[in-house]
Amino acid sequence: MTAQTPARPQRARPPVVAALYAFLVALVVTGGAVLWAVLAGPAALRTGLAWGCGTVAVVLSALLAVTVYAVRTSARHRARIAELAAAADRLADETLPAVVARLRDGASVDTALGHTPMPADEAHRRIVETLATEVGRGERMRAAAMSACASAAGRVQALATSMLADLREMEHRHGEEVLGDLLKLDHTTAQAGRLADSIAVLTGARSGRRWNKPIAMESILRGAMGRISAYRRVRLHSSSTAAVAGHAAEGVMHALAEIMDNATSFSPPTSPVHVYVEEAQAGVVVSVEDSGLVMTETALRSAEAAVSAKTLDLMSLSGTRLGLAVVGCLAGKHGLTVSFRPSARGGTSVVVLIPQQLITQPPPKPAGGRTEVPEVPVAGLRAAHDAQAREVHERDAHDTGVRERHPRGSDVPDRPAARETRPASGAGAARETTGHRPTVPDRDTGAARDGGASRGPDDPHGGSAPQDRGVPDVPAPRGAAPAPATEYGPSGLPKRRRGQTLAGAPIPQVPQATGRTRGRSHEESAARLRSFRRAVQGEAPPARPTAPENAPKDDPR
Amino acid sequence: MSPLGPDDDPDRLYTVTGGRSRAAGSRFDLVTLIVAECEPAPGMQSEHVRILELARRPTAVVELSAALRLPVSVVRILLTDLLDTGRITARHPRTAARAELPEPDLLKEVLDALQRL
Repeated sequence: MTAQTPARPQRARPPVVAALYAFLVALVVTGGAVLWAVLAGPAALRTGLAWGCGTVAVVLSALLAVTVYAVRTSARHRARIAELAAAADRLADETLPAVVARLRDGASVDTALGHTPMPADEAHRRIVETLATEVGRGERMRAAAMSACASAAGRVQALATSMLADLREMEHRHGEEVLGDLLKLDHTTAQAGRLADSIAVLTGARSGRRWNKPIAMESILRGAMGRISAYRRVRLHSSSTAAVAGHAAEGVMHALAEIMDNATSFSPPTSPVHVYVEEAQAGVVVSVEDSGLVMTETALRSAEAAVSAKTLDLMSLSGTRLGLAVVGCLAGKHGLTVSFRPSARGGTSVVVLIPQQLITQPPPKPAGGRTEVPEVPVAGLRAAHDAQAREVHERDAHDTGVRERHPRGSDVPDRPAARETRPASGAGAARETTGHRPTVPDRDTGAARDGGASRGPDDPHGGSAPQDRGVPDVPAPRGAAPAPATEYGPSGLPKRRRGQTLAGAPIPQVPQATGRTRGRSHEESAARLRSFRRAVQGEAPPARPTAPENAPKDDPR
Repeated sequence: MSPLGPDDDPDRLYTVTGGRSRAAGSRFDLVTLIVAECEPAPGMQSEHVRILELARRPTAVVELSAALRLPVSVVRILLTDLLDTGRITARHPRTAARAELPEPDLLKEVLDALQRL
């Protein structure tokens, strides 16, 4: 009994003391009883009785003491066990999750440990520290890998974008012989770009490029189908005139591309994939229907779970099937709603709802519908080049200020006069009948967006006003921009309109300024051809804005 | 629908032509005049709509190409589609023009016009 005392000096004492007390008390009690028995017994037996009873009393006392000790000890152990279990629970339920959460949020190991109440137990503390170190290292590796992937993807995206721009330029420059090959390269590059975009999206980088204007639904769909390999099987059924806001256009296109890619790869290689667009109250609904395998209820549910997951689970990625995870990321980013259902065609139908806040409706076209059309070519050349240049720069210029200026083609309103100088345009001709050349309403139509470029057509006449060359970039004050018209007299000089003050008159010089340096493009050739035809057709003094609308009617051909 | 430009729009040219790069039996040269024979219908490809709008009066292929900001070869493919469905007709302007050329007045006007270019 006493032998155990040194083993656990502090902890064992109370049970030992209790046992000693019990022993002494029992000894006293049994000793008394023994004494009484000995005294009460016959004298002859006293010695024997005393020895016998004494032994029994001692043994009894000892037994009692042992029992007390055992009971006390076990109670102590139970308490200790409960305490340890509680500590372990705290470790598992509070300390470790808190540490891991801090580490996942990007805190360093020391910070995470410092901000979390540490367990008192030394062993527990070591557990927490070891775990924190390991998790911290894992997090750092993950972050490093993600950022490496993201920056690599960003570079590939940039390459793909510039390659696509180059290819587009080549497609315009070269003839029919190489067009097929260029288109093939274009297609491959677009797919590579989509892959890079996917990786960028999964690694949390920003998507490939931003459009600085709303993109029409038809372009969205074609942009999406252009990025998948089996685009020829996609049939578009859309008469929607809606457009998707520029900032979301790329994401929507990418998501639709992934969905179309899924649809084409999980349906027979000869069957078409139908894409329907429907404008609804809540936005625009795009449904992609294939006629492939019917997904089971479970598969539909897991697909929906994949695209609606709040956070991306990288472990669910399988390398080759990134599509749904990408769609999920993009849907979360832009607020798209993606749902899967069995299709009436026997396959699966994926329904994407593009919310109303991403949708813009193009301004209504003027009733004539075509009046602005002929002005485009001119505009096209400049504006397109400007836009291209901008697009390239914009990839680096996140500054919204830079972007804000683009949407309408910044130079357009500044040079309202420019377009007016274009005599040959059919639009001008059409308007001539009304006696007005309404630049203002046109400016908001899609086609006229680029109107500022209308300097181009005048190039043929460029020699007439060489002194104006240097001025092209002088912007007319914005307020003056809406000044509707510059009319030209037979001499080719601008005429002031009745009632218009001199100050309010648009500055007419810009037209000749640009384009000369470039090689002759289709636009220029067209303008020249047009002027030539008109001249040949005998409007003898080919005053600039002369009424070429007569030409078609009188056209002898 | 805004026109295409050099990388100004997300449409790639192969999606505009449906993957074709060559018009089957091209019947158009640069100055063939195109005349629309019907109004654009809803649901048509936007380029077709624009061609039909532009070609309400006779318009040369090269002008269409410039207006649409598409390469001529792509425009030819689109025109072939429209011609095959009877939505446009094509006229070659050369003969009529040639008949008029000999007149000296006209030639003088041409000269004037050319000098003004």
